[in-house]
Amino acid sequence: MNPTLVRLRGVERRFGSVVALAGAELELRAGEVHGVLGANGAGKSTLFNVLGGLLRPDGGTIEVDGRPVVLTSPRDAWAHGIGLVHQHFTLVPTLTVSENLALGLRGALEPGLSVQRAVRELIERTGLDVPLQPRVEELGVGDRQRIEILKALLRDPRILVLDEPTAVLTPDEIERLFDLLRELAGEGRAVTLVAHKLDDVLAVADRVTVLRAGRTVLTAASGEADQSELVRAMVGDGVVDTIALGLGPPPSGAPPSAPHAERWVVRLRGVDVEDERGWRLHKVDLDVAGGEVVGVAGVEGNGQRELARVLAGRLEATRGTVELPEQIGFIPQNRSTEGLIGEFDLVENVALALYRKPEFHSGPWLRWDGMKRVAEEIRSRYEVAAPSVATLGGALSGGNQQRVIVGRELEMSADLLVAENPTRGLDVSAAAFVHDELRRLASEGVAIVLLSTDLDEVLALSGRIFAIAAGTLRPVSSRARDRAGIGALMLRGERRTAVDSALERGVDDG
Amino acid sequence: MSQAELVLFLEASVRLGIPLALAALGETISERSGVINIGLEGSIIGGALGGALGALAFESAGLGVVTGAAAGVLAASVFAVFAVWLGADQIITGTAVTIGGLGMTGAIYQARFGVTGTELSLPTLAAVRVPLLADIPIVGSALFDQAPTAYLAYLLAPTLWYFLFHTPYGLELRAVGEAPDAAEAAGVRVLLVRLATTLFGGLLAGIAGAHLALAHAGTFAENMSAGKGFIAIAVVVLGRWNPVLVLLAALFFGAASALQFFLQALGLDLAYQIFLALPYLLTLAALAGWVGRARAPAALALPWESKR
Repeated sequence: MNPTLVRLRGVERRFGSVVALAGAELELRAGEVHGVLGANGAGKSTLFNVLGGLLRPDGGTIEVDGRPVVLTSPRDAWAHGIGLVHQHFTLVPTLTVSENLALGLRGALEPGLSVQRAVRELIERTGLDVPLQPRVEELGVGDRQRIEILKALLRDPRILVLDEPTAVLTPDEIERLFDLLRELAGEGRAVTLVAHKLDDVLAVADRVTVLRAGRTVLTAASGEADQSELVRAMVGDGVVDTIALGLGPPPSGAPPSAPHAERWVVRLRGVDVEDERGWRLHKVDLDVAGGEVVGVAGVEGNGQRELARVLAGRLEATRGTVELPEQIGFIPQNRSTEGLIGEFDLVENVALALYRKPEFHSGPWLRWDGMKRVAEEIRSRYEVAAPSVATLGGALSGGNQQRVIVGRELEMSADLLVAENPTRGLDVSAAAFVHDELRRLASEGVAIVLLSTDLDEVLALSGRIFAIAAGTLRPVSSRARDRAGIGALMLRGERRTAVDSALERGVDDG
Repeated sequence: MSQAELVLFLEASVRLGIPLALAALGETISERSGVINIGLEGSIIGGALGGALGALAFESAGLGVVTGAAAGVLAASVFAVFAVWLGADQIITGTAVTIGGLGMTGAIYQARFGVTGTELSLPTLAAVRVPLLADIPIVGSALFDQAPTAYLAYLLAPTLWYFLFHTPYGLELRAVGEAPDAAEAAGVRVLLVRLATTLFGGLLAGIAGAHLALAHAGTFAENMSAGKGFIAIAVVVLGRWNPVLVLLAALFFGAASALQFFLQALGLDLAYQIFLALPYLLTLAALAGWVGRARAPAALALPWESKR
């Protein structure tokens, strides 16, 4: 058996009253790829932030090479050969790629080896191709993910942890990444892949550990554990949301029915959105009818953000015609920064969406009693776990924040609902709740546009599907309606810079 | 303007620009790490009084510069403790340090020399003439027949530029000012960097204050810093957080101040305040992006705390 490099025992960590880890166990061995599974909120990221020295545990022990260690900073973790590829990017957007790679490398390279040369050698060896000169802010998420991985590899870690690296990569890129992970493990490293999707982990891992509610509930060789056993370990007796786990075919009940032409509520024609960095959207045509769910799949940073905001009436198109209904509901991706105001209570947060409506006015004054009643209704109907409507938005968990936002947008009785990654970071039952509500709303005749980086979510909920790449929207034919087909469309036109779009525009205009 | 007057004007420009340059170079470094020290004025006036007292006590202008620098660090350390270490609001803390510094120095001065204050006569920093360079026509003596603190500014500008953009330490410092969480994840000790840059800023502001007392006036007067701390912060913006450009911007501000004296001396009936306002208008233009692209460090003025 391969030697054990890392052993975590009984690791605990609380954030205020929230218990993130309640006795997690983990053993990482040299020469193997170890998969760590768990639903959103199971404590995966917390556990690896502890191992990476970014968080201190409240209890438990960490052993590296059989000796107990205390990791008080990322420096300590590296000193023990632990390299972390974070889920949330830890790059400095305003610095160049080279500068980001060089950051913190002082003394970490072999003497005499320049950062430039080390980077070039590493890129050659791993095939993770990134441009070195541009500033990170100019690059898309796929490039950023590759940079994060390169950054960790530059320090030559013996123990490499990748936290949800697949979320922003296309299926093809994921396959190449997995090949690389196997190769790295073959060199005697302990490689750990953290994910919330079964397929990803089973495709590459030698052994699997499952976390649930901050505890380790199962560790097995990946050949020994069957899928249903793993799913049960992940979700316990709770709701199984097959979509969020990336399991099997989409549930029936969302047939790609033909939209009724007489009920178009959205009409976009030749819509461009341009900013100082180039095109964000280019020549987008899109019609959405009442009662259908239109899915837009794509790797983040390809124009979804802009498309969502044009559809929600928050962003003006640079060119083209936009026809939108009067009432639009919008579920933005960043719950805590765009969806809710943390320092406002639930009534005020609900009021933000409602206060323009005449029934909440009397003369120039707001009618707080009416809006408070709506907030009370949302809290009970959508089962928001908050002691009262006077609770501050920032005090709620992500799932409960999303319940408030979804409830608020549904209460608006909108003709169109734009949902941007509506289940990202939610636990399984909250995700299932959002999915059910979207389906229910569509059945009631509301037009829904679902923009998501989660292919399985798009496949399961949507009637018609579009792929978005470099600001261009392409319909997905019924033949290409699977991961590979959409993935191929998503790949087109990655890594486009301002220069490229300027060039294209020149060609276009000339 | 005759050639003699032009030479005098240039010499005055440099003399008035040097304290701004010193304070602004220090502020450039602290702002690059994300700390905007509005309390710079407090460090300058502290440096002026510290410099005056030190020069008197040791009967040496050179040692006065050392004690002035120490007083500047002392004032900045108050800012460092509250705004950097404890994460208090940088603007409010800095304002407190400025007002406190002006008040404290006034009180100490009156306690030491009485309310009316006999005119202090201090040992002064003599101008040092650099051979050859000072002989360059017109600009030579303006630039190279100055107090030694001027040469410190000339040397610091390129040195700090090299440090910021070509050493791993400078890279870490800039990362702290742009994205402190990312810097921490890369193993940089964020608070330590910010404490160090704040104290360094105080050190240079203290030297700037000592320069005011010992090279300009040869005396100390209450409120003699006269808003130079705030002007230095504007200089940093006009110099786009680049030490070399900051030095040039400081000399430009110095020239604008010198111009008013000359216009008055020449008896021209012009509203000299217009010339005083010119550099500020340029600074606003720089901020608005009309004079090149000026982008402040992304994490400027944001208190930071490790999530551990």
